[in-house]
Amino acid sequence: MNLNLHEGFQRLIDETLAGTISAEKQKSLREHLSTCVPCQEYLSVSNRVIAGLSGFSFEVNPALNAKVLAALRLQARQVSSAQPHRLQLMRQRIVEYKVGPAFAVALLLSIVGSASVYEVATHLLHFDKEQVRTDVLIFWLLPSLCATFMSARHA
Amino acid sequence: MESDTERIAHGLRQKNVAVLEKLVEEYQYRLVRYLVSLLGRRDGVDDLVQETWLRVLERGASYDGRSRFEPWLFRVARNIALDAMRKPPMFSLDSDEEDIFRSSPASSEPSPYALAARTQDAERLAHSLEALETAFREALMLRFQEDLSLQEISAIVRAPVSTVASRIYRGLAMLRPQFEGEPE
Repeated sequence: MNLNLHEGFQRLIDETLAGTISAEKQKSLREHLSTCVPCQEYLSVSNRVIAGLSGFSFEVNPALNAKVLAALRLQARQVSSAQPHRLQLMRQRIVEYKVGPAFAVALLLSIVGSASVYEVATHLLHFDKEQVRTDVLIFWLLPSLCATFMSARHA
Repeated sequence: MESDTERIAHGLRQKNVAVLEKLVEEYQYRLVRYLVSLLGRRDGVDDLVQETWLRVLERGASYDGRSRFEPWLFRVARNIALDAMRKPPMFSLDSDEEDIFRSSPASSEPSPYALAARTQDAERLAHSLEALETAFREALMLRFQEDLSLQEISAIVRAPVSTVASRIYRGLAMLRPQFEGEPE
């Protein structure tokens, strides 16, 4: 009996069971198995081991599913109740991030706007400078500054 | 059209409890069976099962739905079991995974395999399985009970495919003497 030959084919049987054998090797193993009794026995014993491994049936604690599902629902509720708070914080951060530049732009626009109105009224339309200065201050600069501050506070 | 695994992945990303409930119904038994194989005992398994599902809810977004769900679930369970085994002070932080499972304290409970054996062949294997090193028992159970491929097992145990194959060959070799020289 050639022991090395059998060992080689028994290795192929292991590979077949583990799912790693190539089609070519499988064909040669099939041919060998049709005539070799020791390798047939090896395969038969291996199959018995595998069948034995499938012969266990573990009991699951009947209360386990209910316990797990209750824990999952509780955890999910905690996660979802934490979610709005997280969203609120995120929104607050975005607002804080945007308010600064928006306030600066609004302030700049009100000052530049006032200066432009003053320039147009005095140089192009030749209105009285003192009167224009008062009018711009009362009707343009002060309301736009108030609006800017109020919108910043509201945000 | 969305496949089943993509639907699971989508549900887990949304932290959808209804999806999780279905997964618990479907995979609970296999999860228990895998953890018993891993630990070689029944006590403490229920806590690890619960911990595993909570981790699935928490980190479900990391499942991409491109591969089967159960290898991913077993990997999560394995990590939790490993963390739980690392907790007692008797293990040093630099112990490797196999050492940790190997040195798990013996339980006073009867063998989970002896209790779970439903066939004569299973009864004969029960004692040998319990005595088998965790790495071999885990590889055998994942391959022949859970019907996972070598690649899937390799991803769960974080070992090369060749190592997993070798564990299966050696595990089978250790269990074969139970049936050698006897009629079927």
